[in-house]
Amino acid sequence: MNKKLVSPSLKRGLTFGIVMIIFVLIDLDVMVATMLSKLFGANVIRGSIPDVGFMVLFLILFGMFVGWSTSSDDAKPTTKLFQALVAGLTLGVVLGLFDLILNQLIVTGTDVRKYLAALAPESIRLFLFDQGAISPLLHLGLFTVASLLGSLMKILLKSESASRFFKGVKSGYQGLQAKAQANTPNWVKKYGKFLLFLLIGLLAFFPPRIWGSYNNYVVGLVGLYVILGIGLNIIVGLSGQLMLGFAAFFAMGAYSVALLNAPLPHGIMLGFWPSLLIGILMAVVAAVLLGLPVMGMRGDYLAIVTLGFGEIIRILLKSDLLTSFTGGPRGIQDIRGPTLFGQSFSSDIDYTYIILVVMVLSIFIYKRLERSRTGRAWLAVKEDTKVAQATGVNIMTNKLLALCLGAAFAGLAGGIFAARNQFTGPNDHQLMVSMNILSILIVGGVNSIPGIILGAFTLKGLPEILREIENYRLLVFGGLLVVMMISRPEGLWPATRPNIEKDEGNKLKENGAPGEGGLND
Amino acid sequence: MKNFKGLIVVIVAVLLLSACGPAAVDTPAPAEVVDANIPTVCSADRYGCAKIEPGQTIKIGMGSPMTGGDASFGIDAEQAGKIAVADAEPLHGFSFELVAEDDQGAAEGGAAVANKFVADQTLVGVAGHLFSGATAAAMPIYEAKGIPMLSPSATNPTLTQKGSAVFNRVPFTDAAQGKAAATFIYEELGFRKIAVMHDGEDYGKGLAEIVKVEFEALGGEVVEFVGITSKEADYTPVLTTIAAKSPELIYFGGYTQDAGVLANQMKTTGLENAVFFGCDGTFGTDFLNRAGANGEGSYHATPRTPPQTPEKTAFDEAYKAAYGVGPGELSPFTWNSYDCTTALIEKVGDVAVLGADGALYIPRGALVDAVRGLNNWTGISGTYTCAPVGDCNIQGPQFHIVKNGAFVPVN
Amino acid sequence: MENEIRPPRRYKRSKLPKLVRWIFGLIVLSSFFWRLYTVIIVQNEYTPDIWVRLLISGLVIGGVYSLIAIGYTLVYGILRMINFAHGEVMMIGTFAGYFVFEATNAIRFTSSTGEITSLSNAQPFLSILLAFIVGMTVAATSGFLLEKIAYRPLRKAPRLIPLISAIGASIFLQNLAQLLFSPLVRDYKNPDLIARGQGWAITVAGARLTIPYTGVLTFSLSIILMFALYTMVRKSKLGKSMRAVAADKSTAALMGIDVNGVISQTFIISGMLAGAAGVMWGLHNGLVYYYVGFLPGIKAFTSAVLGGIGNIPGAMLGGMLLGMIESIGPTALGISYQLKDVLAFVILIIILIFRPSGILGEVLSEEKV
Repeated sequence: MNKKLVSPSLKRGLTFGIVMIIFVLIDLDVMVATMLSKLFGANVIRGSIPDVGFMVLFLILFGMFVGWSTSSDDAKPTTKLFQALVAGLTLGVVLGLFDLILNQLIVTGTDVRKYLAALAPESIRLFLFDQGAISPLLHLGLFTVASLLGSLMKILLKSESASRFFKGVKSGYQGLQAKAQANTPNWVKKYGKFLLFLLIGLLAFFPPRIWGSYNNYVVGLVGLYVILGIGLNIIVGLSGQLMLGFAAFFAMGAYSVALLNAPLPHGIMLGFWPSLLIGILMAVVAAVLLGLPVMGMRGDYLAIVTLGFGEIIRILLKSDLLTSFTGGPRGIQDIRGPTLFGQSFSSDIDYTYIILVVMVLSIFIYKRLERSRTGRAWLAVKEDTKVAQATGVNIMTNKLLALCLGAAFAGLAGGIFAARNQFTGPNDHQLMVSMNILSILIVGGVNSIPGIILGAFTLKGLPEILREIENYRLLVFGGLLVVMMISRPEGLWPATRPNIEKDEGNKLKENGAPGEGGLND
Repeated sequence: MKNFKGLIVVIVAVLLLSACGPAAVDTPAPAEVVDANIPTVCSADRYGCAKIEPGQTIKIGMGSPMTGGDASFGIDAEQAGKIAVADAEPLHGFSFELVAEDDQGAAEGGAAVANKFVADQTLVGVAGHLFSGATAAAMPIYEAKGIPMLSPSATNPTLTQKGSAVFNRVPFTDAAQGKAAATFIYEELGFRKIAVMHDGEDYGKGLAEIVKVEFEALGGEVVEFVGITSKEADYTPVLTTIAAKSPELIYFGGYTQDAGVLANQMKTTGLENAVFFGCDGTFGTDFLNRAGANGEGSYHATPRTPPQTPEKTAFDEAYKAAYGVGPGELSPFTWNSYDCTTALIEKVGDVAVLGADGALYIPRGALVDAVRGLNNWTGISGTYTCAPVGDCNIQGPQFHIVKNGAFVPVN
Repeated sequence: MENEIRPPRRYKRSKLPKLVRWIFGLIVLSSFFWRLYTVIIVQNEYTPDIWVRLLISGLVIGGVYSLIAIGYTLVYGILRMINFAHGEVMMIGTFAGYFVFEATNAIRFTSSTGEITSLSNAQPFLSILLAFIVGMTVAATSGFLLEKIAYRPLRKAPRLIPLISAIGASIFLQNLAQLLFSPLVRDYKNPDLIARGQGWAITVAGARLTIPYTGVLTFSLSIILMFALYTMVRKSKLGKSMRAVAADKSTAALMGIDVNGVISQTFIISGMLAGAAGVMWGLHNGLVYYYVGFLPGIKAFTSAVLGGIGNIPGAMLGGMLLGMIESIGPTALGISYQLKDVLAFVILIIILIFRPSGILGEVLSEEKV
């Protein structure tokens, strides 16, 4: 009985010990301490070392988390405490040994930053609370106690009184909800959707004028990636073709607008709107060029070929061979923006409007596509090619159409992107861009519009807002992708597929047949 | 896993809260009410004033790639900038702060960072951006707000051909360096048959093209002009084809990583007797470490400056002590970044006015003009005078040859 | 009789697409050879020794790619999983080997001849062996942990999900390495015995060539490992279990195979191969930094697909072919060296059009539509 308790707690303590060691090796401990100090109002200058107290706080919180997670939900309080104790002790011992090594470094004055860049003396000292040789014992005590505290918190929160409290709150809330629903006047139910759209439209109009250019930029970026996500979704989600080089179509749109709208290298000033249309056309042409050879290819082969296609386009754009045509690695500058009724319509506010309108349009087009015969044909081909063929679907045109439509969306987004930044170059169309769009799609939820919006916000908008954790942004991004896939692979806001279920009376009851629905996605 | 999800919610909430901390992203714009405290210079200034309240810091921004394949440039620039800020004296009791953001070297990041910077009222100048692509996207945003830029490394010629009032840069233009290199190779070294290579990127290719044009104008022969793909490991095929043309010298526009690999592989592909001629991007201990003995006799460029002033030595030691690696190892622009930050700080000091209410007022237009007006300003990387278009380094480069594992100036 | 069941009319598939394909193929092939003829014979810019040098370069570069591709194709074949983080596991191996060589170089003592030398140079074979052992072990552990944390929970998910997880893991490991070791680009300190750039001097067609030691080592290592892996998969019990798991996981479980264990072992072996490739990369190319695994990962993917998914000799062939295309291709076809990757991908597409399962065909798993 004892062994079964000790072993997992031991392993957990060990794992978290290693995690904390890695934290120290990448200076994350100092960063978190800094963030905690900001939370408590300290005016922090970048690069300065926070107060020791915050490091202590961070370690305590870490220890509490370890204790909390080690205590199994259904164990007796004493068992919980025991588990936490073992974990905390292990954690403390592991870190204590680590501290001994760190202390040696401080004492002998060795600088290991040639190999481990984050072990600056100040950072090490902060971690050791500047206490030198007794810090291993301090850490041991701290982690053990913190772990026990965490376990205590769990006991409290899971206790009878606590769960009764939460249940009461929940039922009270549900009661309120039911009352509100019962009391809603009829007209709200009828016109609710319409009012909601009106509200959203008003909300979309005023804030861009107020909240500053940075927020406009971020909202615009999220909007563009929503459009891109929709395009990729048509290819990957609806028609089931794995596409890893989506940035190529994005580049076609961006470069079309750029080349036709800038003084160098050609000096053609065609105007934004015509060149945007040409951009969409070029993207579709590229899709056809890609689609024809790869008709017969399956899954993974398609993946590498599309990846290669993306790279081909990027390398060609950057190459010496085509520099006189594409501008080469320099890129294209001074791209002119859109004009509306003769007036320049290219301030950041105007762009936000454009992007929002285009985004809503894209969502609308996508929704109609999804419900249409074509959309259902795509889904059929994705499920089972042979059966779909038997029902008369021409596989080749079907897949090609999906590619072209997806590419069109990408070209659209690319054109707006280039004009908004007033510059585009090969660096803007790397492999990572394709990976990012794919991630947005999967993390948000395939075939789900709210999912794509949420995904774009999480993977593009949130990192902008969280620029505080600058150096660790991509680390968090990568980890987030893995965590999201493990904990919620269906996506943040999964699509609800229409399903037909039988009720008790053995009659078929339809639940949201295709063609209906609406906001229920 | 339930615990995990809850933890993630908590962490995100904490991060969001702390992001809305005292150093808020959107500090309110200065009031337009006529206030006796505001110095008269502010209302006369075309961009208005930045107001630094007591307790706030004066911020200098920096945009560079800090993640991804080019992260070494951004991290290096940030580290140099931090030392510059630490070396700076407080201005009327207000201290300076460096805000370095990741723009990933591309337009998307450049515009994002620029938008973020202009939203912060206490940010008055930008030592950047580092890459030309990000700079091009960021420039119009700073132009609208009146934030001067002083870039350590954006060398794309078109950047100063757009009539921008805010953009300045300290590296040589490709034109200056390329012409000087071609002339040096033709006249000083006496070679007539060379090959020109570049790394396929904006900086390297621009330089290589100028060298080719200038060398041919002088009457020399460029037997091969070819670009490689940067950051690969094996260039023996392209070097072999170049060796077939028997050039006497190979000019390379690019950075130390590729330069070192090329210098090494030249020895095994039939180019043992060809001289390797680099640029200011290939200058650095990174090259010496990588090429070792194969780097002997190669040429590189730096700005025209005495090699070791006491200030430079002091900076080198401070950098090494603070970060554990030497300056110039992560990127060749360490000293430039230091100087850009220091120059901006100095100019802020020149134009700032202490208001009667104890707040510091920095007239933006005056700052833009002051940075443009840099005249014989000497830093640790060179002496700079800004031309009206924004190029601050009209001097030609100083060439160095590698002898016994060290750089020795030759002209 | 009315109820007689007639055989269905055969749906005549138009022969047009196949005809188009063959005409297309003929055009491509003939223009390809015509171009080769024009560049090599007619223009004749290069003496034969140049071609020999390019060939040797191609073999060396191909050897590097093959080495990385072998580990990649194993996981690919067994799990049908695009392991995007394979390049990062290779990077981990490279770093591990780097630290070993740093250590052996730092240990200095006076040798029997009275001169001060490092452990690396006094005992080169020992140092190299140690580097490989440490590199392979660390990489194998990373592969095991990677599978356990990022892939195992997603065993039953549709293929896109593990792909995203792999991308996330790749980004995470790259940035972890950058934060741990800084973006500084470091160089391997080879023992003098196999210093980079040194090799056997031979004379071919009147010109002196150097066959690099590290190049030969890379090539030999990839052949040895390929044979070892191939034999293991074909003959050993583990190999049989792997093939069973590749064919059908649930049936394999019913047969008493520990599916989890087999998959873990697959990743461990793949990690070992990646680690060996990483150390070899460091010895031969010299560069070690956080981003070093990115491009080789893509090349490994390309090589594996070229040769056929899961096909171990195929991966070797694919790698060699890719190396050759990159080395000789641009010069032979008279195009710029910058476009070597474009050439490689175009050839890949053309090959896949005519041999959709890769050159040597798929081996380990059945075709799943």
